[in-house]
Amino acid sequence: MAKMTRRWGMVIDLDKCTGCGACNIACSQENNLPIFKDDSDVPKRVTFLDLVEVTNDKDPKAQYPDVKVAYLPKMCQQCSGNDPNHPQPPCVSVCPVVATDVGEDGVVSQIWSRCIGCRYCQVACPYEARVFHWWKPRYEGTFKKSLNPDVSVASRGTMVKCTFCSHIWKRERDRAIANGVTDINAVTYTPACASACPTNAIIFGDLNDPSSPVYEAAVQKNPRAVRLVHSIDELRTKDPSEYEKRLKIKDYPNPKVYYLTSQQWLRDKISGFKNS
Amino acid sequence: MKLERKDFLTMIGGAVVGTGVGTVISPGPWMGLQWLVEWTQDQYRPPKGEEKYLASICDRCPNKCTIQVRKIGNRAVKIETSNQGCAVGQLLLQVLYHPERVTTPLKRTGKKGKIDFAPVSWDEAIADISKKINDAINNNKQEQIVAINPAYPDATSMLTERIALFSGSPYVFQESGYWALSNACSEIAFKTDGAIDYDFENADCVVSFGARLFEGWGNPGRMHNVLSLWKKKGIKFIQIDSIATRTASLADQWVAIKPGSEPLFAMGVAHYLMKYGKRSGAANFGRFTELLINKYTPEKVSELTGVSLETIEYVAKALISAQRPIAVAGRGGKVNSSSVAEFSIIQTINNMIGSMGTSVKLASFTTPVQPVIPKKAKGLDEYIASDSVCDIAIINNANPVYSSVYGQRLSDKLKKASTVVLLTSLLNDTALYADYVFPTITSLEIPVAGDAAVTLTSDAKHAGDSLLGIAKSIAKISSQFPWKNYLETVQTVKHQTKNIANLDIPVDLIITKLEETEKMLSASGSYSIAMIPFEIPTVSDGSGLSLPYVLKGLPDTILKGDTSWVLMNPATASKEGISEGSKIDIESSRGELDTVRVHLTKRIAYDTIAIPIGFGHEEFTDYASEKGVNPKKIMSDAVDPASGYADWWLTRVKLS
Repeated sequence: MAKMTRRWGMVIDLDKCTGCGACNIACSQENNLPIFKDDSDVPKRVTFLDLVEVTNDKDPKAQYPDVKVAYLPKMCQQCSGNDPNHPQPPCVSVCPVVATDVGEDGVVSQIWSRCIGCRYCQVACPYEARVFHWWKPRYEGTFKKSLNPDVSVASRGTMVKCTFCSHIWKRERDRAIANGVTDINAVTYTPACASACPTNAIIFGDLNDPSSPVYEAAVQKNPRAVRLVHSIDELRTKDPSEYEKRLKIKDYPNPKVYYLTSQQWLRDKISGFKNS
Repeated sequence: MKLERKDFLTMIGGAVVGTGVGTVISPGPWMGLQWLVEWTQDQYRPPKGEEKYLASICDRCPNKCTIQVRKIGNRAVKIETSNQGCAVGQLLLQVLYHPERVTTPLKRTGKKGKIDFAPVSWDEAIADISKKINDAINNNKQEQIVAINPAYPDATSMLTERIALFSGSPYVFQESGYWALSNACSEIAFKTDGAIDYDFENADCVVSFGARLFEGWGNPGRMHNVLSLWKKKGIKFIQIDSIATRTASLADQWVAIKPGSEPLFAMGVAHYLMKYGKRSGAANFGRFTELLINKYTPEKVSELTGVSLETIEYVAKALISAQRPIAVAGRGGKVNSSSVAEFSIIQTINNMIGSMGTSVKLASFTTPVQPVIPKKAKGLDEYIASDSVCDIAIINNANPVYSSVYGQRLSDKLKKASTVVLLTSLLNDTALYADYVFPTITSLEIPVAGDAAVTLTSDAKHAGDSLLGIAKSIAKISSQFPWKNYLETVQTVKHQTKNIANLDIPVDLIITKLEETEKMLSASGSYSIAMIPFEIPTVSDGSGLSLPYVLKGLPDTILKGDTSWVLMNPATASKEGISEGSKIDIESSRGELDTVRVHLTKRIAYDTIAIPIGFGHEEFTDYASEKGVNPKKIMSDAVDPASGYADWWLTRVKLS
């Protein structure tokens, strides 16, 4: 079988996102997320994709009506680290039992049943994209019927997170093999959030593929592109030597999720870069 | 063979070493350990089965999006919407497999006001209901029958309408919403029926007067496509609102106005249109222009709405300079509140800019012929507020006890009624007063082409089939329902688009409404704060709150535990001595809500609170009941005389 050359990534156009919630619901359904009668304790809520409301209203200079609101679908940012030969996202390097690792396709995996619940990865994650199962997942009565057999139900006391729906890729791979396709790179797929987005704001694809709308080299040149809490990106053109220096910092996350927006206030909020 | 002691010990040793090595190498024991872990945690394993994808539709709005249902064996495990529709389609499985779904007809066994039902057979229930309706017809008490349909009508609405009208009752209503308001405007201003339908796809400038177009308004699936199109084409979009909603932030320009002043702002825009030579051939346009010149000058509108003269002029010029401009009426998301007068002013603007008949048309249904009975109440709220006696109510996929600002009065009416039939899939606030509950099915269980995507396993029926069952059992009207089943009925209801031939501007209605609005805006005294609603798209009109994956997406500044939060500008909070998270009580002239908490944000106008709607159900499954407050209980109940629905958008309140 050929070596995997795909490197999955995502581009999310926030100027098209209405905050409708379809991505969040599709993700919960696809990944068998637990059901609770009161799910309003946000820090302890189990979601793989948070639809974060972002507003500039806390800016001291902002006054009504010069305020705006946007929604930011935030999932695991699938960090690559700064060494292409040895990808080390912040969470992977701290896991004592290799419950989380980076696949050949760049997807940061999470094996619930291997996790011992130490939560080091949760502390290490710069994006608060990992959640801990404080309670045993419950699926009251007939809700059990809608559970997806491709995703195992996580136990209480384990960490979980978005895996770019890698089980869908496995499903597509098995289908391709059954159809006689042996080239692993011929297998493509779409995660649940991206296939649910009604405005096509979430686009998924291969960051290495020049024909893909998420081709990384092209996305990086897009003036609307920004990565979450990744102020280093702003230095790429503003201060290239400082950029090169910072690139070498250990555990530089280098996420594979890019956001697009033409709104400067939103870019500033997302990147965390301060001009001053 | 003689076995030496040494050989015996060697064999035992070999077995021990072999078992040890085998244990380490074989996955068996480790798998056993994993099973043990899973067993101790009682971990559930979803059963595997054959995978299939079946076609179906989402029928939760008029868009009727096509979907694919992923099935494993006989279980539906995912809805594939393929980048169309909205979150509602994704939620269909939560309705389908809701553990509290009604699966059999229910008959009340206890007092009204509680969920106290026992299963009953379809035959017994329908025989009793049809006998009551027959008796009402025979005893000349037809006018004690009322039919209530959902806000967006479908073919089942035609059936309830037919049952009431052929029985001789004039009381057929819809829940409050865009369709009802828009139709009321059409009857008065266009002298025909139909909901105002905009050609968003081909527009090049859109001014929305409070319609939160991308937050559940109209057909959400269509509006999502429209947004993608607008972004591609770069059309001009101006939003008028008092909150920085997502729609306002997606607009090229958000015009922030005083809460509830949209009709006045529309007059300001109309004034500038007139100034720049835009005229209308509509009846009463002369009187309308007199009103603009003498009473609603831009200066006065600017003062009343808090919008600068330049901005009002800018909006007018944007409409003038476009090739296919549209002015959109219908404040709100899925839940709308407005007045016929406000709709009429905005349609007059469309007429002045030449969009009527091109970018603005009417959408309606053609239905089989039915009797025309003069209306005795124009809308549901007017009916509830009246002294009309209700003895038999058929409530079709609606929850008016919750959704109407007159919910309390409706519950009093329903308590006294002998027969209240509710068609629903989940027991809701209205079920507290129902005598019979008929279980309905999801669109996944309707055979679209051949088999249904999901086989119906309960005793539930499509609302249309239940209504046909009732109608066919009523001796005097059964012949008016020749259809075998609901699917046959659907074929008789055709969508049509109509041109608007005439506009008759209801100037007197407009004058009254504008005067009322001015009063509401300037209300002072103890009710110094304006209260306006906002909507969470997944919660929508409240119907989404019963679905647990909706709860998973709610910010804790909307609902935390059982407590609702309201939005307030920090400047207002400082004046009122309120800080982030403060508990407050909100009181209007109609009453007081349970305590809520305050989230401070500069997204909202001064001296205003924005309150989420869709919360505060008295009864709506374990997931939604008693969560937050229902602001409709204290919202403005002034009934719009032209539509018969309360215009509850702006309510004056005081805080304590």
